[in-house]
This record gives sequence, C-alpha cells and structure tokens, in this order.
Amino acid sequence: MALLSPTRAAPARTPLGRVAPLASRLTTRTGSTPGRLTVLMLAASALAIAAGLAAVIGVTQRSSEVDSIINRSGPLTLSAQELYRSLSDADAVAANAFLSNGQEPAALRERYESDIAAASAALSDATAGDPSQRAVREIAAQLPVYTGLVETARTYNRQNLPIGAAYLREASALMRNDLLVAAKRLYDAETARFDSDAGDASGFPWLAASLAVLTLVGLGYAQVYLTRRTNRLFNLGLLGATAMGLAALIWLGASWLGVRGELSSAERDGSSQVQLLAQARIDALQARADEALTLVARGNGGSFDTDYNTMLDNLVGKDGNGGLLHRASGAATDPAVRAAVAAATDAAKSWKSTHQRVHSADTNGDYNGAVLLTIGNDPASAASTFNNLDKNLATGIAATSAQLNRHARSASGALTAAPVGLGALTLLLLVGLVAGFQQRLAEYR
Amino acid sequence: MRTKLLAVAATATLLALVAGCTSATSPTSNASPAFKAPVPAGVQDPATIPSAAADSDSGCDPLASLRPPAAMPPPRQMPAGSSMETILKNGHLTVGVDQNTYLFGYRDAVSGQVVGFDIDIAKLIAKAIFGDDSSKVVKLVAITSAQRIPFVQNGTVDIVADSMTINCERLRQVAFSTDYFDAGQKILVRKGSGYTTIDDLAGKKVCAAAGTTSIVTIATRPSHPVPVAVNDWTDCLVMLQQGQVQAVSTDDNILAGLAAQDPTIEVVGPRFTAEPHGLAIKKTSTDFVRFVNGVLDQARADGTWTRLYDKWLGGPAPTPPAAKYSD
Repeated sequence: MALLSPTRAAPARTPLGRVAPLASRLTTRTGSTPGRLTVLMLAASALAIAAGLAAVIGVTQRSSEVDSIINRSGPLTLSAQELYRSLSDADAVAANAFLSNGQEPAALRERYESDIAAASAALSDATAGDPSQRAVREIAAQLPVYTGLVETARTYNRQNLPIGAAYLREASALMRNDLLVAAKRLYDAETARFDSDAGDASGFPWLAASLAVLTLVGLGYAQVYLTRRTNRLFNLGLLGATAMGLAALIWLGASWLGVRGELSSAERDGSSQVQLLAQARIDALQARADEALTLVARGNGGSFDTDYNTMLDNLVGKDGNGGLLHRASGAATDPAVRAAVAAATDAAKSWKSTHQRVHSADTNGDYNGAVLLTIGNDPASAASTFNNLDKNLATGIAATSAQLNRHARSASGALTAAPVGLGALTLLLLVGLVAGFQQRLAEYR
Repeated sequence: MRTKLLAVAATATLLALVAGCTSATSPTSNASPAFKAPVPAGVQDPATIPSAAADSDSGCDPLASLRPPAAMPPPRQMPAGSSMETILKNGHLTVGVDQNTYLFGYRDAVSGQVVGFDIDIAKLIAKAIFGDDSSKVVKLVAITSAQRIPFVQNGTVDIVADSMTINCERLRQVAFSTDYFDAGQKILVRKGSGYTTIDDLAGKKVCAAAGTTSIVTIATRPSHPVPVAVNDWTDCLVMLQQGQVQAVSTDDNILAGLAAQDPTIEVVGPRFTAEPHGLAIKKTSTDFVRFVNGVLDQARADGTWTRLYDKWLGGPAPTPPAAKYSD
C-alpha cells in the first residue's frame, strides 16, 4: 500500500502546481484551444490515476488471496485432513489392538498414541486458524472422552473381563457418530473455503482492465485531436504514455493469466486429486476399523460388516473397477501418482478377497483363524493388504499435495513484481501525458 | 445535591449495563458445546418393546419337552436319516452362543476361545454325536439375543446355548430341550443405591438386552420402570457404571456374571420371575430334541451337570432341574 501514495501524490505535486495559473486563464478564455487542451489533459490524467490505482490495489489484493491459499486455507485444509485421518486411524488401530489376545502389540499401541498426538496437534492448528468452527469445539470436547473410554476398555481387557469389549464398542460409536462426523464437517468446510479462495484469486480484473482501456482510448483521442489542431504528426510524450499504458494492460492481463493458469494447475494436479485420495484413505481406514470391530463386537458385528462392504464399494466400486480409486486414476496427471493409485487399487481388491475369508472363518466359528487373518503378518493377511493400500494412498497424497504447493507458489511468484511494476508504469504514463500536453500548451503562451 | 444523586444513579445504571453486557457476551464466546454422554452403539432409550404377547396359551406347559429315545445311539453311529446323522456328516455341530455373558458364554481374552457353562453343555451334545468336543467339531457362532430364534429357524445354527428362557411364545417358533438351568429375574444395582426390588425403580431407567424376555418384563412391571435396550449385556454394565441407567435387570445368572466384573455393584432382591433355560432347536427336528434331552438326562444322572456347575459358578451345586416330558 505504501506504493500507492507516490502514485497519488505525483500528479498533485507536478502538474497541478502549474495547472493553477492555467485554470485562472481558463475562466477568461473558455472554449479556446489551450482551455480545451487543459481540460483534456486533466481528464486523461484522472482516468490514468484511477486505472493505476485499480490495477495496483487489484494485484495487491490478488497477491494476498494467493498468499492466503498458501499460508492459511491450504494449511487449514491440510490440518483438517490430518485430523480426520488420525481420528479414523485411531479408531481402526484401537479395534485391531483389541483383537490380539492378552497384551496388545507395542507397535499398535505406539501408532494409536501417535494418532491421538497428531489429532491433538491438528486440532490446535484448526483452533488457531478458525476458532469459530463448531466442529473444532465438538472434537475438542469429545476427544478426551474417547481416549478415556479406550483406556477403560484396555484395562478391563487386560483383566480378561468381557466388559472391556463393551467399552471399546462405546468408544468406537462415539468416534463414528460424533468425532468423525465433526471432523468431516470441518474438512468439508476448509476444502470449500480453499476452493473459494482459489476462485477469488483467479477472477478477471474487470475494473482495472476497463479503466486502462479507457485511458488508452483517451490518449488516442488526445493524439488525434492534437494532430488536427497543430498539424504535427507525433507527440512524443503522448506516444510514450500510450506505450506505458499498453505495457501496464499487458502486464495486468499476463499476471491474471499466470495466476489463473497456476491455480487451475494446482486444482487439476493437486487439490482435486488430494481430495479424492484423502477421502479414499479415510474410507479405507473406516473399513479397517469395521473389519476389526466385526470381530470385537462379538455377535453384533453384522452392521460393521455391512459398513465394511459399503466402504469398499466407495473405494473400488462393486465390480472392483469404479469408486474413488477409479476416479483418482482418471484424474491422475503424474505417472508416479497413477502408479500409486494402481497399486492401491490392487491392494484394495486383494484386501476385499482376504476379507471374504475373514468373514467366512468368523461365521463358521473359527474365531482365532479370523483374527489371525485380520491382524497377522502374512503377506496375504488383511493387515498386510490394508497397510499396502494405506501406504500407496499416502504416497499419492504426498505427491499431489506437493504439486498443489508448487503451483500455488508459482501463482504467488507471478504477482511478486506486479504492484511495483504497475505503479511505476502509471507514474511514467502520467509523466509522458503531462509532458506531451505541456509541450503544446507552451506554444500558446 | 440532586445532580450528584442523578450522576450516581446514572453511573450505577451504566455500570449495570456494562456488567450486563460483559456477562451476556463473554460466556457465548467460550461456551462449551453441550456435553453429550457417550452411549453404546444401538442403544434404545427408552426401548420399543415388541408386542408383549401374553403367555396365555391355554394348555401350554413350556417345560414339557420330548422324551429321549429308549436307547441312545453310541457316538459316531447316528440313526440313518436322522438330524444327528446330518450333523455327523457335516463334520461339525454349529452352536449359537453369546460371547459376552461372563461365566456362561464369553470370549476368554487370553486364549481367544469362547468358554462358559452354556458352552460346556453344548459340548456334551457334540461329544455324544462325534465322541469328540474339540473345536474341530464344535463351531461356536457368536450371535445376539435377538438373532437366536431366526438363526435356529433358518438353520444358521443347529442349536442355541445362550441362557435362553423357555416360554410358550417362543415354543411356537422353536423347540426347546428340557430345562437345564433354573434362573430368575433380579436386579443389579450400585452398592448403596437403596434399591432392593424392581418395584423401587418406578420411573427409573432399567437396562436389558433387546429381544429378551427381560426387557418385556421390565416394560410390563406395574411400577413402570423405563426400559433401556442394548445389544449386549455388557453394554448394560457400561451404562450402569456410567450412571446412565439405575439398574440392570435380567436372569440372576447373567447378573452374577456382570457383578463379578465390578466390585461396586451387587445383585439384590428376590427373583420376580422364573426363567428356565433350554437349548433351542429347529421345531421340525424332533429327533434331535429327543437326542439332546437324552444327553441332558445323562448329565443330570452321572454328576456331569454338578461338576460343570461347580466349575463355573462355584459350589455347592443345587440339584439339577428335573426333566419334564409331554410324551
């Protein structure tokens, strides 16, 4: 904004100081050529100042919108996504840890704890970034309740008491019915804000562009007028001013095109794919929790199994060739991402077939066989295929997020010099304009 | 003087306004979202009660089952064409069990196996058919209370061993063995709560599993407790521990299993219903009902029943419930 004051002050100091005696002459010699010239010069200057102001304010605003994508809505979307993911992961890990007879494996315990730590950190980021979100407060209120229930479940399970499973089911119900619902609401809100910020930043600078065109038209008219009056073909000052105006208009258009291009690349190569893959990852986590809870729920697992199938349908479609992963594959622009999505699709399919075996072992009363298939280390186990799926989705998300960041930074780069440049061009234009008119006016003195 | 008074009054009014404003604005910005206590998945509070069909079938004697055959076939030699032969050929007896009823049918967290009194009774049947009661021939399928009747009817399980009360309404849908365990409905409350019978719980929340006789009994007590239905008995215990219900009410054997998991709660009061437990079998498999009754008779006579009672519930064991036959 500091740039604006010289722009505004410049015409006030230089031309108007000389204009004052001209104006007094105007009153007596109205309708005379010097009078008309003076009016024309003042009008063209005002138009140029307005166009310059609109351009500089416009690009400054756009630059701050792009920066807010990089520094605010981008990170907020990311922390909302991380919150949603870590909560889903905690639900899945807590249920899986419960399946191990007796003591839970240290690795699962650590993963659960790092999920809760990640969720808390993401939650505090979300709170700092947007404290008005109701969802944030709901999660902050219920997360300690959830962890309390999980610890109670653990304690009872270690004492070999069946009520432990009941506490875990209650914890999971709280997670699914309240925490994850709120986390999804937050994620959707941040995603929508991100999209709208990106949309705002790519808007065409109508005001500045039309004022700039008007200024150029005015300069053209002034030159034609002067040529007719004075029989001199060129006015160097006005020609220079016109060149400056054209340059400013081109710069304005180019910076708009640059930002729009980078942001639409950010959307195509980044955010739209990130959204698909993040949703796929969360659905996979929920299915993983469903799978374990089917066994933990002990007889009440029917609804979890139905939910598992719904989640897998979301992921790969009923026939294995649809769903989010199919869409992600179609949207992929980077071969590495496409490969990760293809690997994830294969993993999801083999997980689905392993799950069929888990399900039939469970319904045939082979509980320990079902558990082994679910959490065992065998490469064909549900645990291995799920981890493979999760790992590939994480790879895809990381790659597309990097693309998103790269393009957003390029968009910001396209605007770095624009406010100074446009301000300087406006000043030069005014100098040329005034000089051009003064040259002619001097001839009448 | 007057102006001074006015000034004082105005200042006071202003202060009150400011105070009113601050107290009105600051809590809204910091208000915590209304706390919602977590509840078990699938809870119905209050419960919708399946039409409590009155047990008024004229001439129905729920305890009278089918008489065992004169001579029981030896293991692995089941009569041709019998239901037992089908089970033998299948290679396993599929038993519908509960995994959450401590001491009767529950998952041992260390071994991963479902164990308990009901499970051992079911294993007696397997032993009589296969001469073996290992997990190779006994398939224990965990089911909910509400799944017991449909799963027997559609053949998902051969038999249900899950603290299931024999009554005339259920006898219209499935067949039952003779009574193998006598229970009665009581209440489970926090120690020191002052409640001693179900009639002390007028208007209070009382928990039971959905699809059980217990939830119907709670709903139809003249004292009008509020029935709360859950999927599993342990969910009732969670709600009692969390203070979301004032009592749990069902068969005393189930309550004893719940009470054993928490020293601050106790089973109180007299039995206010009689709940004879039977093994549920498909209504058309009359030969299997007779065979099962033969196995139970043997267990009563040779001390097996007493041994199992002592093993799971601690002695001294009462006399086993007497078998009663219609023909």
